[in-house]
Amino acid sequence: MTDQVDHQVTIDDLAELMKRTAGVSVDPLILEEESGSGWDTFGLDSLGLLGIVAELEKRHGMGLPEQMERCKTPADFLAVVNGVLMKGA
Amino acid sequence: MNRRVAVTGVGVVAPGGIGISQFWDLLSNGRTATRRISLFDPVGLRSQIAAECDFDPAAHGLDHETTERCDRYIQFALVAATEAVRDAGLDLQRTDPWRMGASLGSAVGGTTRLEHDYVLVSANGARWDVDHQRAEPSLHRAFTPSTLASAVAEEFGVHGPVQTVSTGCTSGLDAVGYAYHAIAEGRADVCLAGASDSPISPITMACFDAIKATSPNNDDAAHASRPFDARRDGFVMGEGAAVLVLEELGHARARGAEVYCEIAGYATFGNAYHMTGLTKEGLEMSQAIDGALGQARLNGTDIDYVNAHGSGTKQNDRHETAAVKRSLGDHAYAIPMSSIKSMVGHSLGAIGSIEVAACVLALSHQVVPPTANYETPDPECDLDYVPRVARERKLRHVLSVGSGFGGFQSAVVLRGPEGRRQ
Amino acid sequence: MSRQRPRRAVVTGLGVVTPHGIGTDVFWKTVKEGGSSLAPVGKEGCDHLPLRIAGEVRDFDADALIEGTFLVQTDRFTHFAMAATQLALDDAGFGRADIDSPYSVGVFTAAGSGGGEFGQRELQKLWGQGPRHVGPYQSIAWFYAASTGQISIRNGFKGPCGVVAGDEAGGLDALAHAAHAVRRGTDAVVVGATEAPLAPYSIVCQLGYPELSRNDDPQRAYRPFTTAACGFVPAEGGAMLVVEEERAARERGADPRATLAGHAATFTGASRWADSRSGLARAISTALTEADCRPEDVDIVFADALGVPEADEAEALALTDALGPHARRVPVTAPKTGMGRAYCAAPVLDVATAVLAMEHGTIPPTPNVFDICHHVDLVVGRARAAELRTALVLSRGLMGFNSALVLRQGSVPPPERRSASV
Repeated sequence: MTDQVDHQVTIDDLAELMKRTAGVSVDPLILEEESGSGWDTFGLDSLGLLGIVAELEKRHGMGLPEQMERCKTPADFLAVVNGVLMKGA
Repeated sequence: MNRRVAVTGVGVVAPGGIGISQFWDLLSNGRTATRRISLFDPVGLRSQIAAECDFDPAAHGLDHETTERCDRYIQFALVAATEAVRDAGLDLQRTDPWRMGASLGSAVGGTTRLEHDYVLVSANGARWDVDHQRAEPSLHRAFTPSTLASAVAEEFGVHGPVQTVSTGCTSGLDAVGYAYHAIAEGRADVCLAGASDSPISPITMACFDAIKATSPNNDDAAHASRPFDARRDGFVMGEGAAVLVLEELGHARARGAEVYCEIAGYATFGNAYHMTGLTKEGLEMSQAIDGALGQARLNGTDIDYVNAHGSGTKQNDRHETAAVKRSLGDHAYAIPMSSIKSMVGHSLGAIGSIEVAACVLALSHQVVPPTANYETPDPECDLDYVPRVARERKLRHVLSVGSGFGGFQSAVVLRGPEGRRQ
Repeated sequence: MSRQRPRRAVVTGLGVVTPHGIGTDVFWKTVKEGGSSLAPVGKEGCDHLPLRIAGEVRDFDADALIEGTFLVQTDRFTHFAMAATQLALDDAGFGRADIDSPYSVGVFTAAGSGGGEFGQRELQKLWGQGPRHVGPYQSIAWFYAASTGQISIRNGFKGPCGVVAGDEAGGLDALAHAAHAVRRGTDAVVVGATEAPLAPYSIVCQLGYPELSRNDDPQRAYRPFTTAACGFVPAEGGAMLVVEEERAARERGADPRATLAGHAATFTGASRWADSRSGLARAISTALTEADCRPEDVDIVFADALGVPEADEAEALALTDALGPHARRVPVTAPKTGMGRAYCAAPVLDVATAVLAMEHGTIPPTPNVFDICHHVDLVVGRARAAELRTALVLSRGLMGFNSALVLRQGSVPPPERRSASV
């Protein structure tokens, strides 16, 4: 599958990953609305973020840049990861 | 009751140096023992380097039965304890076994052995319902780290209070601290105090990979552990053990023992912040330093050398620098502070005791071991880290600090023979 | 360091998570009735293993008790510890408003088996799929310090934090550490132990213990002090206690429920049960001395009750050695025969039971035991009413540790009134 649409990480995907890998429950609508806020607004810590990056790396079968872990907000994170996935696709 | 506690014997098994003379030779010459992992094939790991012990149990008097029964980390402890008891000139026949204790630390205990047998019983991770018939007969000894203290106590006929301490990466400092309390408060007269870990195994390397705590500098293993340097990129795994003979001062004098120094104070606190994260301010470590100084009835300005935790992670070295400055004030700038992890790596629970052993030897030689590989200053780490070369210095009071996963912050103060305040 | 009055450590809250149920109400009800919760092992992946009977915690709803972020990053043994801590704090009425300084509240746990289920899962990922599949929480979930760290973080407790990794006796040693911390100046310590050693690989590890019962009948698998004794049954669960300095407790309006009056620990070698007689006797005598109690002051003994004939005999003889003629009169009980032994947590549950027994004036019986073959007054069948002012709790660890703890009801000073010397 090389369809680019499949390679995008959506807000819903992110909310699901936050729940499953870090135990953080957040409504995707709220996550979208406050996607410019820091991770700590949602209760996600640095280890949780590392877990999400690792999960995405496995899912997409590729390494993601170290800068992923330094993204301060969900909006930043999605912009970077989707940029990388777009190029890699 | 507050009795004085003397160090009368030291034993060390460290990467690049087994026995205190080899260990001190490595430290005082600033050599590093970090290299590509040889204990297993590290291909596929992010960090493929470690400080390993070239350890031949037979050469250190361990027979086949002992090596079969005891995991590598326990073998290290037995060898270190044997050296310490001999160094102390302790005649076990003339020591009341009920007044002798043992306090041994380990962060991960028998996990290397647990992993080894796990691979057998799970058919390489294929099954959850593991096959017990493929397990080795002494596997249960790796199940709990109490085996460590038990094995050491058994070897030396100890009948007093015995415990394994497992506070992650402060285990080694805390094991010394608990033994110090036991003697100071009258529960024992002599105590074997130390720690051991042999964590260089796939699962432990992989779990630190997962949080990027270890250095990925696989191409330059010898210079990969760079505490306080601006280019530091994580700690380098290590292994080893150190054991001290601690003794009530009067007990030591009565038998004519040579006293290296005293354990003068110890304190530990939790940071209640994060299992792996550290604050920039270092308040809780500072609290531990203040507590240990208070117990020793010293001021921060009395300290002549700080043996740092100095793991070489970005956050640790910054945190620790802040904590030391908070407790010692401007005096922090006037004294040396170094990290031997630059040379022997970070052996998790063991390193605290190895560092206390280094402090004992530093007091004995009146020499401060350096921070190897330190070249590029970091504005957030602005103390005197003793770059690359050991330094002669008059030492009376030495502080050793540690910090571990779980938020543990510990500090031990040692007082040299000339360090008694009048 | 002279103080006007010695600082005494008192118990003000209990939290239990056990095979009998969650919380002291349901726990005490079953214990008092001599109920047994031993049953065939029901965990996934264990059907084929030769351990048939265990004490499992069956109605523990972790999701309802612990926040999701803590759940994913911790093992079952830490889930138990966090839940038991909350129950203990609630029981003590101890809230954030009661804390003068975060440094005045410490956390101390004993741990024997660590995060075995979590660890097995991650080992399976590593060996079945590769190192990149190991998650970020393996580094903080498997090790023995996980519970102390997480309790400290979840509750903001920054006081002295510690972990002893011992087997059964380690649970009493943890309580002693808490008492010592209180005597040194800490106002409160949350202390105890929880274990979750029933994952498949953890069970495989324990199969090497010669003392483990392989009997498949819940009523017959764990019968100490009888001719049918065939070893012990392992269990999961445990207890956390709130221990406070007596005056600090009173100042916030809490009533001391029991005093940790004396403790001592000795070591006599792994699986050398006949030798544990002298070690246990010595521990009992030393603990009574510290508590300023005479043998005849002991109103109830909570036995270690290993269920190995040689060990049971050694325990009965140790009581005679230490208590003299009173050993034949003093009631002895072992409610753990209805729950199994949750390693470090077993004696902590005994301490919790002792506090409840003293409050209710009721000695709970020893389930599944009737035909006693030793000279001890073992309470069997039904509970016995008695005025209980002083309880002695005994514990021995599989690796050779012996511990004794003396509890006094409320904060009443011991019978012959001099203040305790330590």
